[in-house]
Amino acid sequence: MDAARADPARFDPLYRKYVAQVYNYAVYELGDHHEAEDATERTFLSALAGLPRFQERATPDDGEGASTFRIWLFRIARNVVAERRRRWRRRPEAPLDVATDAPAPGDLEGAVVARESAASALRAVERLPGDRRRAVMLRFVHEMSTSEIAEILGRSEGAVRVLIHRGLRGLARELGEESPGTSRKGRA
Amino acid sequence: MTPGGTARDGEIEAFVVDRYLESLLSRGPRDEAEVPADLRATAARLTHGLPRYHPSFRFEEDLAARLAAAASARAGRLIEFPVGTVRGLVSGDERAGTVRPVVIRGVLTSAALSLAGAAYVAWRRGRPPANAMTRAVRAVVRARTV
Repeated sequence: MDAARADPARFDPLYRKYVAQVYNYAVYELGDHHEAEDATERTFLSALAGLPRFQERATPDDGEGASTFRIWLFRIARNVVAERRRRWRRRPEAPLDVATDAPAPGDLEGAVVARESAASALRAVERLPGDRRRAVMLRFVHEMSTSEIAEILGRSEGAVRVLIHRGLRGLARELGEESPGTSRKGRA
Repeated sequence: MTPGGTARDGEIEAFVVDRYLESLLSRGPRDEAEVPADLRATAARLTHGLPRYHPSFRFEEDLAARLAAAASARAGRLIEFPVGTVRGLVSGDERAGTVRPVVIRGVLTSAALSLAGAAYVAWRRGRPPANAMTRAVRAVVRARTV
């Protein structure tokens, strides 16, 4: 991180480490691969330009190699995506498609079931409102901690806990997950 | 919020669920009994089921080149950048133990490495470089490996 800040030529390892994560975030937010690529490009170009202003807030107590760079980068991505969503407001959003041309060697039936399960989970997540959806996605796809999500969304940790909890509750209802004392909803 | 419960109950459950999810992140689930079964099942389904989308190799390499050009402009000199490798397929997936769908720009793979991806790398490697920068980089790589 320090090397990249001192010399832009050292930015490439950071880019390689985080490009998939930023692209993934943009795909979930924008639902379109072309738009996600554009948002990813803008995010990294902004990050490169703003690198001298980045302030490392991790301390030695956070562990070896700890860095707040990912939080900083995702905040840039969030702003870029928000700007693109504003431009997109009048356009219909196409749902993400997870079930296209998937090779399914071996257990065909299992692969189909897994794919359908993933697709229904994805559709349910997409229907969550704004920050609830973002918090769930950052938690379960990017495996971020509550504090990281709070920093990125500009919310308190308590608010993020509630967002995720409510999101999870809503998804459990929608996906018909079994709970003691309740019957499973009929979603074939 | 728990149906029929108070806001305080909801906050407490949110805290308990958060603690459980944090333990999932560290691959050491705990306090399972305190978390409602439906939330545990949903958390497991999301953890393993939500796909990760990965950019195409072409996009990743093209953007790397543009960033290198931008960086060189800032540094005022020519900067070489590494040729992309297969590791990019699973970047961001450093945590071991979780198997989830990986989608490379719309194509779902049943494993982290797809045949389509491997074929694309082979095709890219065998293809004559399209621009001078790529030719220069490949020349540097070849010189280093000889």
